[in-house]
Amino acid sequence: MEPRIKIRSITREKLEENFLASVFGKFFIEVTSLALFTVRFFKEVWRPPYELNELLKQSFLVGYKSFPLVAITGFIIGLVLTIQSRPTLAKFGAVSMLPAMVAVSLIREIGPVITALIFAGKVGSGIGAELASMKVTEQIDAMQVSGTNPFKYLVVTRVLVATVMLPLLAVLADAVGLFGSFAGVNLKGHVSLSFFFSQVFQSVDFNDLLPAIIKTFFFGFAIGLIGCYKGYYANTGTEGVGKAANSAVVFASLMVFIIDMIAVQLTSVYQY
Amino acid sequence: MTENAIPIKSEQDAAQNGSFVVEMVHLRKSFDENQVLRDINLVVHKGENLVILGKSGTGKSVLIKCIVGLIDCDYGTLVIFGEDTSRLSEEQLIAMRKKIGFLFQSGALYDSMTVRENLQFPLRRQERSTPKETMNSLITEALENVGLAKAIDKTPAELSGGMRKRLGLARTLILKPEIMLYDEPTTGLDPITSKEISKLILEVQKTYNTSSVIITHDMECARLTADRIILIKDGMCEAEGSFDELKNSPDAWIRSFFE
Repeated sequence: MEPRIKIRSITREKLEENFLASVFGKFFIEVTSLALFTVRFFKEVWRPPYELNELLKQSFLVGYKSFPLVAITGFIIGLVLTIQSRPTLAKFGAVSMLPAMVAVSLIREIGPVITALIFAGKVGSGIGAELASMKVTEQIDAMQVSGTNPFKYLVVTRVLVATVMLPLLAVLADAVGLFGSFAGVNLKGHVSLSFFFSQVFQSVDFNDLLPAIIKTFFFGFAIGLIGCYKGYYANTGTEGVGKAANSAVVFASLMVFIIDMIAVQLTSVYQY
Repeated sequence: MTENAIPIKSEQDAAQNGSFVVEMVHLRKSFDENQVLRDINLVVHKGENLVILGKSGTGKSVLIKCIVGLIDCDYGTLVIFGEDTSRLSEEQLIAMRKKIGFLFQSGALYDSMTVRENLQFPLRRQERSTPKETMNSLITEALENVGLAKAIDKTPAELSGGMRKRLGLARTLILKPEIMLYDEPTTGLDPITSKEISKLILEVQKTYNTSSVIITHDMECARLTADRIILIKDGMCEAEGSFDELKNSPDAWIRSFFE
């Protein structure tokens, strides 16, 4: 029997063999590896089996369990933004614009970005640590050996759930944030709830809401993908778990700002 | 090969291509500059327990991970059930893996699941249409076979080291594999539990008619379970024989394993 060389696919390990020498090489490895990981996600997402039970379980863990944290943060942001903005608006005699200003700020920018950052801290790091720990304890190998596709079961489900859940959480954070703003307005004066919200709805239109929601899908996708990537390729050992969780948060938060910057530019071109 | 060592028969056997379930020809694997497997030639016969011995870091675990496809070898031919694995598609490899059981050194139990769920997981993946009653009876049977029936609702964190190994074994056996790969099954266990695990390996061989490859440093486990032993040195098969043949070898290095 003739032995022969076997190259099944380009893998991270094969890339590392060639480029480990230089810093530029490491950066190239990371970017190429993440790109291959993303391509693999889009290949696997359409293929059966569809892990509905795992999707529901992750939706509960990622969405429902994150809601209290996101809601509290949203309420505080709405309250603080209102209190901090009041003196500046008062200088220009525009205190009546307070609900409108806070609503636009919250819905367009602060709500989605703060929710994404909270989400990156809670969910991105959680996914990174969970997958890294599964890798260290050979649970991912055990899945593979039992005929399960671990990428499909662990990565595809978590990325999909993060992509869908973050927009929902951002909308909820916006809503709770507006109630925080209402509380802030009422700390120094009296404004009825109906008047407050009539001011809010007059100032916010579809063009404020839609781009903000669309960008949260990208935030969620990036956070889920980076969390999974960092966990899936974690180094072995307990140190690897810590590093995976840490770098998942740092990298995902950075990506949130980069995506936000691109989204703002695109929205500006579209709107003006 | 070391002078006076018992000669390797695998290479001649490989040419005959008889009742082998696994056949490795000139297998090599490196990690960066470290060549772990230099030239591995061996076969696993149907229904036999093959024990692989060697010093730490000689590539024993890498070797069985190549068999199950967790690691791709760099060079050489790996034939399982008569099929050259390098010619198989991903789907065919997954189908082949279903016939191979792997007991990890750490157990590799899913720690977010209970004992029952650990066994349900591989069953659901493979037989999605299995009725709940059939699944429950399979789980109960697998747990009874390894003496863990009472621990069905516990989590892996609540189990002792021996129980974790037995659960890992039950999870593998529930899929009725034709080849069992054991990666240091008795490491970290006391002598009594180690003996129980060794006996369990023999029972598995008889009950399920499996062929097994057992990586171990535990000589008592090797003595109890081995039909044949292969010694690995520097990434190559150094010697082969029964426990008694190797123990009484004229070669001092081979004998040193058994002293």
